Amino acid sequence: MPIKLPPGISAAAFAEAVKEFQGAVGADWVFTSEDDLDTYRDAYSISWGHDDEYLASAAVAPDTVEQVQAVVRIANKYKIPLYAISTGKNLTYGGSAPTYSGSVVVDLKRMKRVLKVDDKRNFALVEPGCSYYDLYQHIKDRGLKVWIDCPDPGWGSPIGNALDHGVGYTASPFRDHWGSHCGMEVVLPNGEIMRTGMGASPTSDTWQDYKYGVGPHVDGLFAQGNFGIVTKMGFWLFPQPESWMTGTVHVPKYSDYSALVDHCNYLEDAHLATGQTMYGSNLGGPGVIATPEYRALMANGWPTIEQLDAYAAQRKVPAWRAKLQFYGPEKAVRASWAYAQRRISAAIPGATFTDIEFATLPLSPAQEKTHHLVNFGIPNMAIFQIVARPPAGPNNANPYDGHTDFFAVVSRSGSEVFRAMKAVYDVQKELKIDPITATPFSSPVTWHHKVFFMAAGGVGNQRGDAEHNRRMRALYAAYIEKMAAAGFPAYRTNPGAQDLLVKQFSFNNNALLKFQEALKDAVDPNGIMSPGRYGLWPKQLRGKKA
Amino acid sequence: MKALIAVLGAVISLAGTAAPVFAADAGQLALGKEKFDYWCDTCHAPDPREAGRYLPGTASLNAKYNGSRPGALVDRTDLLPPYVELVIRKGMEGMPFFRKTEISDAEMKAIAAYLSRNTRQ
Repeated sequence: MPIKLPPGISAAAFAEAVKEFQGAVGADWVFTSEDDLDTYRDAYSISWGHDDEYLASAAVAPDTVEQVQAVVRIANKYKIPLYAISTGKNLTYGGSAPTYSGSVVVDLKRMKRVLKVDDKRNFALVEPGCSYYDLYQHIKDRGLKVWIDCPDPGWGSPIGNALDHGVGYTASPFRDHWGSHCGMEVVLPNGEIMRTGMGASPTSDTWQDYKYGVGPHVDGLFAQGNFGIVTKMGFWLFPQPESWMTGTVHVPKYSDYSALVDHCNYLEDAHLATGQTMYGSNLGGPGVIATPEYRALMANGWPTIEQLDAYAAQRKVPAWRAKLQFYGPEKAVRASWAYAQRRISAAIPGATFTDIEFATLPLSPAQEKTHHLVNFGIPNMAIFQIVARPPAGPNNANPYDGHTDFFAVVSRSGSEVFRAMKAVYDVQKELKIDPITATPFSSPVTWHHKVFFMAAGGVGNQRGDAEHNRRMRALYAAYIEKMAAAGFPAYRTNPGAQDLLVKQFSFNNNALLKFQEALKDAVDPNGIMSPGRYGLWPKQLRGKKA
Repeated sequence: MKALIAVLGAVISLAGTAAPVFAADAGQLALGKEKFDYWCDTCHAPDPREAGRYLPGTASLNAKYNGSRPGALVDRTDLLPPYVELVIRKGMEGMPFFRKTEISDAEMKAIAAYLSRNTRQ
């Protein structure tokens, strides 16, 4: 790909800026060759090779906060847009590419230090290039009694993931990675260093304990935002629990789902079922939906609840299941599971309970081989099976080169899940896609403890197939708009769709975006900081997106 | 890119059973193993089921080669350094490429030497 200069910057000025970047971080850590910049593309972009693919003009890799400051000051001098990445592994949400072509990527991977882990007050303080693996290994090597909470791929950055509202798999407060952060250090667009919350107090020792400090709490500006480069961030950690228990609840009728969700909400919100509740349907799965019975069920469009109850009864399997998980002392988890069974049995006739297991923690190496590791705060990469060749998967012959996720925010209620799954079906029908991934047996994911996320699937890129990728962009845009119109906007998206997603948050004539724009103009007058991230453009570029 | 990888793959298939194709010193091999274990092992370790974690790289290559070559990269006897370096910097299907801030050129060459240590002429 031809190298893009920052828009409006002459080749001579850019060359001068590159020299200054080299002076700030060392010549070895400024990348301008085509081969090097190829590694700053978004490997999973559905715009790969297309005119609207976002490409960097250069990349700069500082090793210290002072070097980050120097880079920001140089960018201001030349009015060159920057785009910061942490580990650059935010695949499906942009990878290591910028949100505005011609930006200089500030690659923070070299800043990967674990600055502190405290297993008495249960927090960590890390730099952005530190991965979940790095933090996990640091804790393990020192025998510290805390867990991290990681997303599916372990090579990402706790900071980068939290800044894009990433989520995980252990106990309920920790799965919300942004929600469990505490305290930030940020290099502002003018090059100043700011610390948030109690970090603003020169004397306090509570930067990673108490989020708020005094006055307006500004941390949120830096998540899915473009008000600075985060160089340190604290996270609350889960003190290592003594034991874990699980059991799966099955309910017979399709229409039992709402009651099941309500009870699971109670158990998790009351901190009885302290782990992640995982839903599924015994009526779903690829083996079932390929059957003539399923095709008959769907032949006349979306079935009624009564039809689905009848379908479940005919198939003689419980319609829904929920896997509950409990962390804590043995007596507590056993008592909580017993209570969960009593509560649900009393409320939902015919409920049954299977797959009951108890384990002391940490898991033994043998147990690690058979358990879902992220539920135990252990980073791994198993999720990449979705883009690998599964032994008998649909993409076996020609796997996608990546995937582009869409997850709608749905309230934790059965009726809303039913509406959301039909909304996905409606989009796929409208676009004349066989709605095989949108069934009445789709289950939401429960990464966040206060809302469900409902996937809308089928979007994957092929780097060498422009027509395929064009169809994928159209499908993805339809998900963004039509799911929001139905009440289910996405929680996160890739750079190519961020403008469109932000438009869906339009209450009172886009009051929120206008407020953010006013702040942006005041804090970043040269518009150098990640222009366009989540639809927030500096005034110079507003309405003129490249 | 895929065409280039295919050509290199064809070159690799010419490798036979005589002397090692690529001479590397012990230090480079040790660095290669260290960096392979850090960056690659989590997807490409041997035996995808034994670890219970569904090692997606190994499983994918097992499916691709269907027994004609090992799925685990450390068991391969036909890899050449340029091919390994190409895949690291250009990616392969769902495996993204790696930047120099992650794997430096020296580390990349060490990984390539390590994975090519059993390749014979």
